[in-house]
Amino acid sequence: MPQTPRTFDDRTLEHACRTARLELEPDRRANLGALMEAVYGLIDAMDVVDLAETPPATAFDPRWE
Amino acid sequence: MQPYELSLTEAAEQIRSRQLSPVELVDSCLARLDAVEPSISAFATVTADRARAAATAAERDIAGGDYRGPLHGIPVGIKDLYDVEGVPCTSSSRVRAGRVPTADSAVVERLRRAGMVLLGNTHTHEFAYGAITPTTRNPWNTDRIPGGSSGGSGAAVAAGVCTVAMGTDTAGSIRIPSALCGTVGLKPTYGRVSRRGITPLSWSLDHAGPLTRDVSDAALVLAATAGHDRADPASLDVPVPDYLATLDHGIDGLRVGVPSNFYFDQVSPEVDRAVRAALAVLEGAGARLREVTIPYADQILSAEWAIMLPEASAYHQLTVRSSAELYQPDVRGLLEAGELVLATDYIKALRVRTLMQHAWETMFQDIDILVTPGMPVAAPLAGAETHQWPDGTTEDVTTMLVRLTSPTDLTGLPTLAIPVGSDADGMPLGMQITGRPFDEQTVLRAGQAYQTASDTVGQIARVT
Repeated sequence: MPQTPRTFDDRTLEHACRTARLELEPDRRANLGALMEAVYGLIDAMDVVDLAETPPATAFDPRWE
Repeated sequence: MQPYELSLTEAAEQIRSRQLSPVELVDSCLARLDAVEPSISAFATVTADRARAAATAAERDIAGGDYRGPLHGIPVGIKDLYDVEGVPCTSSSRVRAGRVPTADSAVVERLRRAGMVLLGNTHTHEFAYGAITPTTRNPWNTDRIPGGSSGGSGAAVAAGVCTVAMGTDTAGSIRIPSALCGTVGLKPTYGRVSRRGITPLSWSLDHAGPLTRDVSDAALVLAATAGHDRADPASLDVPVPDYLATLDHGIDGLRVGVPSNFYFDQVSPEVDRAVRAALAVLEGAGARLREVTIPYADQILSAEWAIMLPEASAYHQLTVRSSAELYQPDVRGLLEAGELVLATDYIKALRVRTLMQHAWETMFQDIDILVTPGMPVAAPLAGAETHQWPDGTTEDVTTMLVRLTSPTDLTGLPTLAIPVGSDADGMPLGMQITGRPFDEQTVLRAGQAYQTASDTVGQIARVT
C-alpha cells in the first residue's frame, strides 16, 4: 500500500461529498476535512497488517426460521 | 438506612420475606431521584405513576404467592435507547422528539417478566455516539462528566436512585460510565443479550448489558436478560448457565493475564496503583498472575472507528440529510465523516478484526481472565476536550475514554467493569475483567472474589 497520508482539501472534500450525495456548506466542509484526516490517520495504521486470505468478521444466516 | 440504600440482594430478600414492600422501595427510590435529579440530570423521562402501579402489582402478586425471583419488585432505569412500550424514547436526540414506541425491546420484555419495576429512561449521549453524556453530571462531583454513552444509567446507579440501570456498549459505553461513576458494569459476550428494540449505533459492535451497584446484581440481571432471540441477527443460541451457582466459588488457581503493553502504557499513576493493588487482592485470593502481550494493539482504534463510523452513518443516512440541524454538532460531524469512509477500508477493518479474534484466542490459551485498567483517568471535568499527560502530550478526551474499552467490543469478549478505589479528589477508579467468549461465569466469579476481599464496590455517592 502507498504510505502517503490521505489529505482532504476543500476540492477533495467537495468531490467526496458529491459522490456521497451529501450537501455541506463550505464551513462544515472545513471542519470535516480535519476530522477526515484524523480518521484516515487511524485507519491507515491497518496498512501494516498482512491480511493474506483472512476473511472479514461478518456472517449471514440464510435460515428463514 | 433508607430502602434505596439496600443492595439488590438485601432488598430482594426483604421483599421475598415481606419485610419490605416493592411500593415502599419504589417510593424511596423516587424520593431519592427527586433529591438528586436537579444536580445530576440522569433521566430523560421519569415514569413515576407507572412505577408505582407496577410496584403495587408486584406487591399484590407476591402477597398472592406469585413470587418471580430476586428481581421481582426491584426498580430499574432503562437507557433512552431501549424501546419501552408507551414511554417516549428519543435516544436523547431532537431528531427523535415525540417518538413513543409501541412495543417493548427484548430486554425490557425480559425484565418485566422477571418482575422489575421501570423507573424511567436514563440519558444517553445522543444516539449513544459519544463518551461524555453532556446532559448529565457525575454524582461524585457534579463538575465532572459521568462518561457515556450510558451516562444517565451510571449516574442513576451511583447516586442510589436504583441498583440497576441498563446500558449499551459499542466502544465502551457501559464500562466508561461504570468506571467514572464507580458502579459495576457488565458488557456480556457479543450475541449473549438480544438487541431487538434498541436503537443501533453500530450493528456489528453493539452490546446490551447492565450497570449495577455490585457484582451479584449484574449476575442476576444477566440471568434474566441472556438468551437467544432470532429477531437479533447477532444473537447466538448458546446455553445460559446459572450465574449465581458459581458466583462464590472463589478463584483459587485462576490464571489472570496482566498486559505488559497497551493497557498500562498511558494511564494516570493513581489508576496504575489502584489496578495493581486490585491485582494483588486477586492474587491474595488465590489467583496466579501471568504477563501477556496484547496483540494488534496499534490497530485497535483503527478497526473500531473504521467499523463504527460507516455503520452509524448508514443507519442515519436519511436523517442526516433531512434533519441535520437537529443533531448535536459532535454527532453530526461523526455521521458526516462516516459517509466518506471507503467500503474497502471498512472491510479491511473487518478482516483485521478476524485476525484480532484469533490472536486473542491464542493469548487466552495460558490465562482464564485478563485484568486491565478500566479507564486511563478518573472522570474529566465537564467541557474538557483534551487531557494533558505528564509527558507533555495531549489526548482528545473521547479517544482517551474509549481507548481501553474498545478491544473487547471488537473481540466481543465478556468484560466486567468494577470499582477499585478512588483518586485524591474522591473520584472513582475502575478495573476491567475480561473472559473467554460466553464465559461470563468466570468473569463474574472473579469480580465477586475481588468484591468480597475489598471494600471498593457498592458505594453510593452523596451528591452535593
